[in-house]
Amino acid sequence: MSEMWINMGPQHPMTHGLWNLRVKLDGEIVVDVDPEIGYLHRGIEKISEDRHYNEVITLMDRCCYVAGFSWEHLYILAAEEALHLAPPERAEYLRVLCDEFQRIGSHLMWYAAFVQDIGLMSPFLYGMRDRDLVLDLYQSYTGARMTYEYMRVGGVRNDLPPGFSAEARQVLDWLSRRFDEYDQLTLGSDIFRKRCDNLGILKANDCVAHGVTGPMLRSAGVKRDLRKDRPYSAYDRVEFDVAVADGADVTARYLVRLEEMRQAVRILRQVLDWLDKNPGPVMAEELPRWLGAPYAPIGREGYLLKRNFPKGVGFSAVEEPHGEAVAYVVNEGGEHPYRVKFRSPVFSNISAARKYLIGYHVADIPPIMGSVDICIGEVDR
Amino acid sequence: MAQELTATEKPNENPILWVTRPMATAARQFAKSLFRPSTIVYPYERLEDPKFRGRLKVASGKPFGVGQVWDNYRGVHALNIATCISCNLCAFSCPDLCIDMVTVPGGDPKHPKKCPQIDYGKCSYCGFCSDACPEGCLTMTTRYELSTTKRSEMIYSPQKLLEVFQHKLPMNPIRLARPANEDAILLEPLLCIGCNACARDCPTQCITMLDIPKPEAKPGEKLPKRIWKEPVVNDSDCVRCGTCISVCPKECLFWGTRR
Repeated sequence: MSEMWINMGPQHPMTHGLWNLRVKLDGEIVVDVDPEIGYLHRGIEKISEDRHYNEVITLMDRCCYVAGFSWEHLYILAAEEALHLAPPERAEYLRVLCDEFQRIGSHLMWYAAFVQDIGLMSPFLYGMRDRDLVLDLYQSYTGARMTYEYMRVGGVRNDLPPGFSAEARQVLDWLSRRFDEYDQLTLGSDIFRKRCDNLGILKANDCVAHGVTGPMLRSAGVKRDLRKDRPYSAYDRVEFDVAVADGADVTARYLVRLEEMRQAVRILRQVLDWLDKNPGPVMAEELPRWLGAPYAPIGREGYLLKRNFPKGVGFSAVEEPHGEAVAYVVNEGGEHPYRVKFRSPVFSNISAARKYLIGYHVADIPPIMGSVDICIGEVDR
Repeated sequence: MAQELTATEKPNENPILWVTRPMATAARQFAKSLFRPSTIVYPYERLEDPKFRGRLKVASGKPFGVGQVWDNYRGVHALNIATCISCNLCAFSCPDLCIDMVTVPGGDPKHPKKCPQIDYGKCSYCGFCSDACPEGCLTMTTRYELSTTKRSEMIYSPQKLLEVFQHKLPMNPIRLARPANEDAILLEPLLCIGCNACARDCPTQCITMLDIPKPEAKPGEKLPKRIWKEPVVNDSDCVRCGTCISVCPKECLFWGTRR
C-alpha cells in the first residue's frame, strides 16, 4: 500500500497555535511524524539584549500567552540572581500567588481546548467561563487580563487591593466545586474513557530520554516536580502534594492536570492566609537607580564603565504549567542583560512526537496532541 | 501523597448511561444559565456600569467584584497638560518607542513645552510610562474602546489625551514609590565651563548657577576660558530626568551617590 505525507497545520483545528505536524500515513495508521515549528519566531532572546532588565518583562508575557506569569517569574528569578538582589518575603508569596492562579488558568485553558479536540463542546464553554474568573482576579491587581507586567526585578509592582483576599477565596470555592463537575462530564462518560485510555503512551524511560517534563512526565509515574525538588520563592513554605499517575496515556495526563489544579487551590489558600497576616514591603529597598520607578537616561557610556557594576550570571528553573522551564541571564554590567537564554518545556514535549504518535490512527492525533498542552509562543519565542 | 492517580469512575456497561450521565450535568448548567447567564451582553451591558459594582452577586453569576473593570485597569492614557513638565521620562521608559514628545502651545518661544503623543498602534499598555511620570500627569484610565477605521486616528496628540483626562474617568490609583537610595546628579568641576545649559533646560528649575571664586593665575599657568559659575542641584526638587546630562556640552554631569 502506498504511503503519503499529510500536513496537519499550520491552519488546522488540531494545532493550538501556529505550527505544522507532518504525518506519514499508511492507510489510517501513522507511520512517521515530523513536527515543524518556527512560524511564530519573534526573536525574543535577541530583543531582550536591547531592553532594560525591567522592560524584558513585557516580552515574557508574550512568550507564553496562557502562562505569562510563570515566564515572568522565571526571568525575574534569573535576573535577580545575576544582579545580586533579593526580594522581600511578601513579594515571594505574591509571586507564588500569581504562579498558582496561572497554573489553574493555564490548565483550564488546556481543558477547554483538549475536550474540544475530542469533540465535546459544553465542557469547552465551562472551562473558558471559569478561566475568566482567574483573569478577572488578575485584572484587579495587575491592571490587565493577559499581559500583566506585574513582577519587577527586586519585587512586584504593587500590593494587592483591599478586599482581594475575600474575593479570591470565593473564586477558589467556586473553582473547587467545578473540578468535580469536570470529572463527571469526562470520566463519567465511557465514550471519553474508550477514546482516551491506552492512547499516546509515553513511558518514563522515553520521557527521560527525550527531556519530556511536566504533567507528561508525572503521568508516566515519575515523581518529579521542581517546586519540590528545587524549591524557589516560597514553595518550600507551603504544603502540597505532587500529582502522579501511572497510566502514561491521555487519561493519565488528564488526571494529573486535574489533580494539579486541586493542589493549586490548596496552595493558594495557604498563601492567602499568609498574605493576610503579614503586611510588608513588596519591593527590595536596595535597588540600583535605573531599576527603580523612573527609567531616566543613564548618560554617556563612560559612566557605566567608571562605576563598578556588579557582574554575574543568573540561572533559574521553574515548574511551568507545561513543564520545566529554565532561564539563563548574563549580566556583564550595564542596564541591559548581555545574554538571555530560555529553555521551553513544550519544545521538548513535541519533539518526542515520534514516540507517542507512531502506530496510532490518524483520528487519534488530535486527542494525543491535545493532551500534550502545546503553547507555540514559548516554543518559537 | 505517594499513591498514583487512577480513574475512579468505573466503566459502565449500559450504553444509554454513556450519554445521559454527562448530559445530566450539562442540563443542570443549562437550567442555571437561564436565570443567571454567564455572558455580559456587550455593548448593551457594559462592565463599567454601576450595577456590576459593589453588589454581592452580579448579574453574571460570578462572585463579587469579579467581572467588573477595576480602577487600576490599564487602558487609554490621560494627560494633564497643565502639570506636565516636559521631562521626557515617559518617552524614555517606553519599551515600544510609541511616545513622541511634540510641542504644545503654552511654553515660551525659546524653550517650547513638549508633551507626549502616543501611537496606539504600537502601544502595548505596559504602564511603564505612567510609572515613570514624576508629576502623576500621565496616568492610565479604564477606557478601552479604541477601534477606528483610519490608522492616523490611532495617534493620540496631547490635546486628545487631555480630552480623555477631562472625562474624569477612574484612573489607575497606583503610584510607585521612588527608591530610597536614588542617585543624584553630580558635577565634575574641572570640566565645567559654566555655560548655563543645564539650568536653562531643567524642567523643574532645580538647578541654580552659583558664582565661584576666580582663582589667581600662577606664573606660567593659563586659566581655563570659562564663566566662573557652577550648577548646584536641589535634590529634593530633582525628578531625575537626566535632561541636564544630555544637554551638557562638556559631559561634566553624571549620575552618582552624594556623600
